[in-house]
Parts: sequence; structure tokens; C-alpha cells
Amino acid sequence: MPVQREDVVGKPIAAAKVHFERGPLSAFAAAVTDDNPIYRNLDAARAAGFDQIPAPPTFTFAASSRGTFAEDQPPDPTGGRNYMEEVMASLMAEGGLVLHGEQEFTYHKPVQAGDVLRKDSKIIDLYEKESKGRKMTFLVMETVFSDDAGEPVVTERFNLIHRK
Amino acid sequence: MANPVKKLSYEEVSEGDEAPVVSHALTRTDLVAYAGASGDLNPMHTDEVAAKQAGLPSVFGHGMFSMGLLGRALTDWAGVGNLAEYRVRFTKQTWPGEVLSTRIVVTGKGEEDGRKLIRADVELLNQEGEAKVSGSAAVVAG
Repeated sequence: MPVQREDVVGKPIAAAKVHFERGPLSAFAAAVTDDNPIYRNLDAARAAGFDQIPAPPTFTFAASSRGTFAEDQPPDPTGGRNYMEEVMASLMAEGGLVLHGEQEFTYHKPVQAGDVLRKDSKIIDLYEKESKGRKMTFLVMETVFSDDAGEPVVTERFNLIHRK
Repeated sequence: MANPVKKLSYEEVSEGDEAPVVSHALTRTDLVAYAGASGDLNPMHTDEVAAKQAGLPSVFGHGMFSMGLLGRALTDWAGVGNLAEYRVRFTKQTWPGEVLSTRIVVTGKGEEDGRKLIRADVELLNQEGEAKVSGSAAVVAG
């Protein structure tokens, strides 16, 4: 492997400020076939104990594509070297396929419309395995969404597999 | 929060219990809708011409669509806002025309950090019983 594990583990790969707006939350619920009125009707959300429309469980994974506003983004945390892009580029140069292998969410607090959260992503592991004579490389990234107090709200782990 | 969030009854849930099944026949329209709502515009999910040129029989489903569908079954059962942990492995691709069904089976319960947690294995299966996604979840009960 041209990129070594110890070179990349712990390296930040992205940071963003993400706005959670009601429209995208409701559209996402509809897109995963969820017809729960909690995602559509503020009265239903309030009756269920929320202050605002809550986010469906997997929404944070998509949230930055729908709630990243150019004017209030934090500085690039990579120091000019994005190790995830470097790892992926070196793997893709060997050919083969990149697959989304695993996804994990840990929920600390509910996410609701109106929230503005900070998103920080870093590499937490890089390793290889042999499967049926083929080399597989696993790249694991962790993303933490945190509130203004710096408290974690949702933690995601994202596992990409490169299969030769 | 004004009202308590609806929760499962910790006492009434037992190992081996199954959550109500959610079934969904996957369509190409679902994939287009998910692409738009998520921002994942990988053409392998939405562009049949490009998918066939890449050697695939058709477009295939986003793994995160499957995880979202299974997440809906979890929140239908345990109440929105009660998920503590949710993790899956994507084991097989999903294809338009397949009927995808959720399977959520309670594996245990216990108190952790002052919360009453119910743990379950979760799967999304096609009409032939092939697992597309498998994993586990923990939900907070009352």
C-alpha cells in the first residue's frame, strides 16, 4: 500500500457547518418511503414531543449536500492535503471497485429543523484483508456532528471497501 | 420538549420479539427520488444507459436508501427520536422490481448509562430471502 496507515489515521478530511431545514428533512423522509406525519406536520411533531420537525435517522449522511451554505463555512482543516482523496486515488489507480461497505450511526441528541451543527470528518482506520484470493482495502472515516456547546449530536462511521 | 416521545415499553418487549414488517417494491422512481433528496447523483443509481454501459443489468439501489427504509421500520416500531445506535453492512445490491422487506428481531435488553436499551438485529431481505443489508440497532425504551 503506497499510503501507510500511520500516515493517515486521525487526519481530518473535512469540516462544515450544516443547516437542517424543514423542507429537505421532509423530502428525505418521503424519499425513504417514510409517511410518518411527524416529518410533515409540525403539530404532529409537537404532539410526539419534538419542538420542531425531527430528522429521519439516516438524514445526517445526506445533510451536508442539502444544508451547506457557502457564506458560513469553517476553514479547510486538511492543511492542504486530503488524505482520503490520496488513499482513494492510489487505490483507484490499481483498478477494481470502491463500495460502501458499512455505515453506523450513534445518536446522542435529536436533530431537528432549525439546528445548525458543525460537522468534522477524519480517517480512523485503514487496513487490508484477503478475501477469496483478492486484496480488499478498508478505509474507515468518522464524522461527528456537534452543537454550539461542542457536544456531540450524531456520530457516523463510514466504511469504504476497495476490492481488486 | 413538551410531551414525552413515544417509546416501547421496556417490560413488555422480550428477546425474540419481531417488529412489524415494512415491505416495499423498489422502483426506478424511488432511486431518482432518493438521488434528489440525498444529493447522491451517482449515475449507477439513476442512469440506465450508463449502468448498462458499465456492464450492469440495470441501475441499482443506493445502499443508503436501503438503510433509510430499514430506519423507517425501526422508528415506526420504536418511535421517532428513540434510536441510540444503528449500524449495517451492505451485503448485496438491490435491483428495481425486487420486493424489499424489513426484519427486526429483539436480541436482548439492558440498562446502560441510565437508559433502558432494547437491542435488535436488523435485516432487509428481497422476496427470495436474500439479505441486502444486515446489522443491528439499539433503541431507548420507557
